[in-house]
Amino acid sequence: MSDFLVYLITGLGTGCGIALIGSGLVLIHRVTRVVNFAQGTFAVVGALTAISLLDTGLPHGLAEVLGVAVAAVVGLLFGMIAIGRRGTSPQAALMVTLGLGILAYAVEVMLWGDQGRSSEGLSGAVTVFGARIQTHYLFIIGVTMAVFAAMAALFGRTDAGKALSACSSNPYAARVVGISVTRMGLIAFAIGGALGGLAGALLAPMNSVAFDSDVALIINGFAAAIVGSLHHIGRTLAGALFLGVAETMVAGYGSATYQTVVALGLILALMIGQAARTHSVVAEAG
Amino acid sequence: MSAVTSGRERATSQPSGGAGDTANTASSDARGSLGTPFAGRGRRVGLVAVGAAVAVTLALPPMLTAGQLSVYILLALSAMVTVGLSLLMGYAGQVSIGQASFYAIGAYAAGLLSIHGTPPMLALAAAPLIAALFAAAIGGPLLRLRGHHLAFATIALQLILISLLGEADWAGGSVGLQGIPRLSAGGTELGEDIHYAYLAWASAAVTVLVARNVVASRAGRGLRALATSETAASASGVPVARFKLAVFTLAAAFAGLAGGIYAFFIGYINPGSFPVLLSIQLLVMAVVGGLGTIWGALLGATAITLIVQFLNDLGSRPGMPASAPSILNYAVYAAFLILVVLFLPRGIVPALRDAWQRRIAGRASS
Repeated sequence: MSDFLVYLITGLGTGCGIALIGSGLVLIHRVTRVVNFAQGTFAVVGALTAISLLDTGLPHGLAEVLGVAVAAVVGLLFGMIAIGRRGTSPQAALMVTLGLGILAYAVEVMLWGDQGRSSEGLSGAVTVFGARIQTHYLFIIGVTMAVFAAMAALFGRTDAGKALSACSSNPYAARVVGISVTRMGLIAFAIGGALGGLAGALLAPMNSVAFDSDVALIINGFAAAIVGSLHHIGRTLAGALFLGVAETMVAGYGSATYQTVVALGLILALMIGQAARTHSVVAEAG
Repeated sequence: MSAVTSGRERATSQPSGGAGDTANTASSDARGSLGTPFAGRGRRVGLVAVGAAVAVTLALPPMLTAGQLSVYILLALSAMVTVGLSLLMGYAGQVSIGQASFYAIGAYAAGLLSIHGTPPMLALAAAPLIAALFAAAIGGPLLRLRGHHLAFATIALQLILISLLGEADWAGGSVGLQGIPRLSAGGTELGEDIHYAYLAWASAAVTVLVARNVVASRAGRGLRALATSETAASASGVPVARFKLAVFTLAAAFAGLAGGIYAFFIGYINPGSFPVLLSIQLLVMAVVGGLGTIWGALLGATAITLIVQFLNDLGSRPGMPASAPSILNYAVYAAFLILVVLFLPRGIVPALRDAWQRRIAGRASS
């Protein structure tokens, strides 16, 4: 029973990291219709920056915030390249973000080498119902919940959030009422970068982060985003938590090597199920 | 789901020159060059170019050093996979970022069969068949997906495959297969690299011929219609799903054959030989050359292999940091992909062909 509880909390913590990446994907897709392949890169950049700053002696908190800020700037830069040029279709932008992710490999290997790094998280553990749970996981869960509440408020209650939503539901109408769709897209990329960076900074103490950790992160994040049909932030969170718990349970009770296989198999089945319900003519309508 | 779908509707109807539209433009381009034959002059130029390319390809191997020869062989293998990928993306409009899966399946099929005593030539012949069978089996459900969904699904499949191969004891686990025998036919062993060079390029030539004939055939006309608009094609009686699956299977067979040759040439394979990055590299080659053009696939594979090789040599000079080759490698692939998608969305070969035709047209009118 206490094993179960440990796996559950650990899984929720991992799931929160996935949720942050997935919500960044959803946010960018909602505003720009671009599936940002470089979303995992933001997490890697945020994590590695935070780790380096911690090594130079900066205190916890400040280093992580700076890591998130750097990731946001990277997000903005990627956005400028991916959607800054007039007439870039979302499909083409997907290819560009794929290229940007690889370009980031070059820079990351140059700056940080090709070995994985890790940082110290919150130390200590609490005992709940006889299960020892690392405090850091609870911290991840708390931060993520706060971020999701803030996003809900942003989209539901502020003008800026409504302008962002307007771009996703009808870019033409948004332009007519004076919203700059490109600027909103860039804002979305910057926020997406920050969300990715936050995920990286939070997960860095739990897993070592290397330049090519982004593949696993983006695949998990995309899986969660698919649960939310690349549109609903709340369902993305639910999907991410489920994935995190499922992977941790498979790793805990079964074998760690099958955790990716199970997660990826689940997501494939889900995507194919979704596609089967959508008629192909509707989906194309070209 | 409805919002996403409607989003894509509008996105595809915008007249923008992105990679999504590359499929359409590439096909209309192919139709232009096949439907209305080139003027006599253009056709002669084309024949001369083919002849020259074949002559150079055949003449090169004896002149190359051992290191260059292995690059030359790997280039042929990349070209084979890229031709298939270019067909798949250009005509069937399907993005695959997991094409190295089929390369891996071909390599493992050939390796396992030959290690267990199957005559090497038979094992090599089985490689494309097994890859194609696998593609046909998973293609049904998989090709219901489109766009970025399919892109992610193909990556996911490759990750699953690598992960399972790493666990499978019968496939050597993470250590992989060692001691794959060299190819032999009728008692003579293909022991030297130069034999592999001719084998690889002969196979590449077969790939190109098959691809060319498929595109030019009656079914190919349906394929080209499919690339322009799936809805219109299916309304005109093109069996869209069946054609997509056929191209997917064919591309997998090309990749499988290349993988089989790779296994015999290198003699040792493990799951790490087929990373996701390899799939992305193949994708870059296809996109850079121009999707849906066979020449583009060949040019893309050649140009990128040569540039990467040049930079590798540069990066491994004494005095350079140990990570320099990989940094340059990543940078080249990234720069090519970004610049071509943004500024030459249809790829190099279609852009060149357009420029050439404009020049001829300009001369004719003056």
